[in-house]
Amino acid sequence: MITTMIVFSPLIGVLLMLLLRSADVRTVRYAALGAAAVPLLTVFYVYFVYGSSLDDPSLTQSFDWIVSLGIGYRVGLDGLGFGMFFLSALLTLIAVVASWDIRENVRPYFTVLFIAELGMLGVFAAQDLILFYAFFEITLIPMYLLVGIWGDENRRSAAIKFFIYTFLGSTVMLAGFLALGMLSGPDFSIEALGGGGTLSQTTQIVLAALILFGLLVKVPAVPLHSWLLDVYVSSPISTNVLLSGILPKLGTYGLIKIAVPLLPDGVEPFLPLVAALGVVNIIYGAFVAFMQPDLKALVAYSSIGTLGFILLGISSGNALGINGAVMQQVTHGLYSALLFILVGIIASHTGTRRIDELGGLAARMPYVGGLLALGALSAMGVPGLGIFVSEFMSIMGGYTAFPVQGVLAALGIVLGAMYLLYMLQRTIFGPVKPSTAEAIDAGPIEMAAIVPLALLLVVLGVFPSLLISVQEPTVELIIAMIGGSA
Amino acid sequence: MQQITAGTFVALSPEILAFVSSMLVLMVGIFNPRSVVLTAGLAALGSLVTFAATVVLLAIGFQGSFFGDGYVVDDFALYFKLIVVLSAFFTVLAAARWAGRTGDAPEYLALTLSVALGAMLLVSMRDLFGVFVSIELATIPSYALVAFDRRRRESPEGGMKYILTGMVASSILLYGTVLIYGVAGSANLTLVATTFAGTLSPVGLLGLVLLISGFAFKVSAVPFHYWTPDAYQGAPTSAAAFLSVAPKAATFAALLRILLQGMPEAVSTWAPVMAVLAIATMFVGNLFALRQRNVRRMLAYSSVAHSGYVLAAFAALQGAGTDVAVQAVLIYSAAYMVMNLGAFFMIDLVGEDGKSFNGLFVTRPSVALCMAVFMAALVGIPPFSGFFGKVWIIAAGVQSGSIAAYLAVAALVVNSVLSVPYYFGITRNVFFEEPLASTEEPKGTGAIKFSVYVLAVATTLFALFIGPLAGLAGISSGLL
Repeated sequence: MITTMIVFSPLIGVLLMLLLRSADVRTVRYAALGAAAVPLLTVFYVYFVYGSSLDDPSLTQSFDWIVSLGIGYRVGLDGLGFGMFFLSALLTLIAVVASWDIRENVRPYFTVLFIAELGMLGVFAAQDLILFYAFFEITLIPMYLLVGIWGDENRRSAAIKFFIYTFLGSTVMLAGFLALGMLSGPDFSIEALGGGGTLSQTTQIVLAALILFGLLVKVPAVPLHSWLLDVYVSSPISTNVLLSGILPKLGTYGLIKIAVPLLPDGVEPFLPLVAALGVVNIIYGAFVAFMQPDLKALVAYSSIGTLGFILLGISSGNALGINGAVMQQVTHGLYSALLFILVGIIASHTGTRRIDELGGLAARMPYVGGLLALGALSAMGVPGLGIFVSEFMSIMGGYTAFPVQGVLAALGIVLGAMYLLYMLQRTIFGPVKPSTAEAIDAGPIEMAAIVPLALLLVVLGVFPSLLISVQEPTVELIIAMIGGSA
Repeated sequence: MQQITAGTFVALSPEILAFVSSMLVLMVGIFNPRSVVLTAGLAALGSLVTFAATVVLLAIGFQGSFFGDGYVVDDFALYFKLIVVLSAFFTVLAAARWAGRTGDAPEYLALTLSVALGAMLLVSMRDLFGVFVSIELATIPSYALVAFDRRRRESPEGGMKYILTGMVASSILLYGTVLIYGVAGSANLTLVATTFAGTLSPVGLLGLVLLISGFAFKVSAVPFHYWTPDAYQGAPTSAAAFLSVAPKAATFAALLRILLQGMPEAVSTWAPVMAVLAIATMFVGNLFALRQRNVRRMLAYSSVAHSGYVLAAFAALQGAGTDVAVQAVLIYSAAYMVMNLGAFFMIDLVGEDGKSFNGLFVTRPSVALCMAVFMAALVGIPPFSGFFGKVWIIAAGVQSGSIAAYLAVAALVVNSVLSVPYYFGITRNVFFEEPLASTEEPKGTGAIKFSVYVLAVATTLFALFIGPLAGLAGISSGLL
């Protein structure tokens, strides 16, 4: 019951936005802020009360929805989803703070944002394939609207491109889900389907191909990524926070939660490919990021690149790798959200996102410059910051399973360091350029959006067990499930 | 021969009520030709009473066959009668404003109810000649409905095309019926089934092909779909909406009954034909819809595509998939009713040019939201109604285990994506474009708005009703 209440708690925000028909922009913003705090606070409550026992019956709920097809309303929390469940609530709050610069259609903006939050929370709590798919898709229209209404001049084509690509992926995935559920019962309960059941290996491979395709488009894994750049570059900053922080993880989470444990024999032949795609993401992302003149595009490719570690960790099939991947989902969300917001602040204070027009930010905007350095160091995987732990675990796990891919991924870290340091050198150091000469540092509201993210990156770097202790029991179950049937 | 008893009248009570309402509307119209509130109110009340009677029959579990087993009342028939009569109710509400302006409101409304009457009779028929007669009863008034708008040149033109192709289709259907009657010695489906077992005779096969072709005309399946865009574009909005939903659902129901009760043994012959029809229909419908700038015409091609989706369920009517496939047709018809009626009615609220939807989100947010809901539902995005229809069709295809059904389902997946650009082309205009200079809110649209809002809510909250609806569909599918 608690989980259902949290998942649907963004509706409070939707309702508030509908009621505040004649309120001024300021009131609307603070109301949105308050509404966005509700899910986050309740998730904190769950963490402190049930952190070690997420399988507590008061967190799960299950009743029949469509009896004849074995589809149920089944929700609950586990270690795989909890980190992202938390991050969805956190990043929505951050997105509300980061959207202080939205001036037009403010009420619809927050309404759409809250509906997106509902979908994201739902995905990480769903324990039924069709429910998972429904929440997965509920995020789609809000994202399409956020990009299409509030984005820059290229927004219309970016929005529809995003929609068509990811809808193609998810429709193929739906066919896979339906085939999986209908052929095993029919039953769509994720728990009941664990281990692959009685499906032959050939069937499993076909189903795994359908489901993997859908999930990898969502991530996006590199040959399937062509929708991404336009969308990332065109969307408003607060939408970037969710686009890079949460949406890719709908794909990676689907891999860990559904594809791997439900179709172990079917996914197995694809694992080397997934690992290789992860490495391609890392290396391709680094190279392309290196060449971007636009700071936002650089961050976008950096974000694609570091998603590769999640794919590598998942494909390893061992506890170390999967733990790393599950944690990387959260740390990746924190750092990419941090960098995107910083890009937004820099762009609004200097009037440009072009790296060659920036320079000397450390002198003019010390807080922003310092946090940009922290974010970049984090992306490089410097020890002491959250990403280091998760990347290291993913690479070690991946290396055990696929040595070549593991070594190449480690090489990718070096490439990452190259473009990030080069970017830092040109933006925060060096001579002050005309556009940065008059720039002032981030204001209190802007700092409120970025400081929590930076703090969490540091805290998770020092105490990774805060997260790992929650996710470990479920990861062990998954490992047992794969090992038991492979 | 069975006696006509009180039970017969109970069984026919929805049809009798629909008939009486349409006659009352006409008669009241003679004395009050200008009072559209009165005639439309009467028509709406008549459809509500008919709806209530159907619900009562369903609730008391009324079953039975009448007129020498030619006419049956079962949950399956009652389910479709509910869809038909509900569509009629919303259509009457949405039609009132336009019909009032023509000055011929009583005739228009009575014709609408007559189409509903034919469609309601059709879903109960277990006799091939009965099927033919009720199809004609539903079709002949619909020719008049399409050609009703004398002020627009497209209307008589569309009506003419519809009559000519419709006549050909009826002849083909009748020819097929007669051939089957000749082979089986009876037009009753139970007796037909005994003949259509084992290897089909050439004449029987020809009869089957002609019968299916006739039905393909009526549901606008490719290659018999040419009349659809012209007829729907010419027709008054409410007529196009109604014809794309109610008679079509009833025709699918009749086809389902004929194939499953009359020719279950010949499934290996007709199921692949259905798959081919389905695949061709979806692709043609969607590819042509992509090119349309006129919303009415786009929705006409969209309705062709959706006929293709339903035909994909027909391809899955075999093996373990049979039950799920029948349920798929039932669920899809309900889902399609709420979303497609709503989408068509939007034309009367906004306009038929795609550009008239520009910036609607800024100028008329609630109406804009409704359009977004209908478009998303037609694409098949959860939680809107169309999603559940697609779930059932794909599930049935998988369950049936036949290659033809797999291909039809694969085509459905591809076509869902193919349809996004044109549905979301409208959504894009609604949300992303600047409003046009002159976006006056049309006057007197209260009843249309009521229909649209109710349909939008039903489309959105379909997930809440899907449990009971699926239960009903489950019981109904067991009867065939």
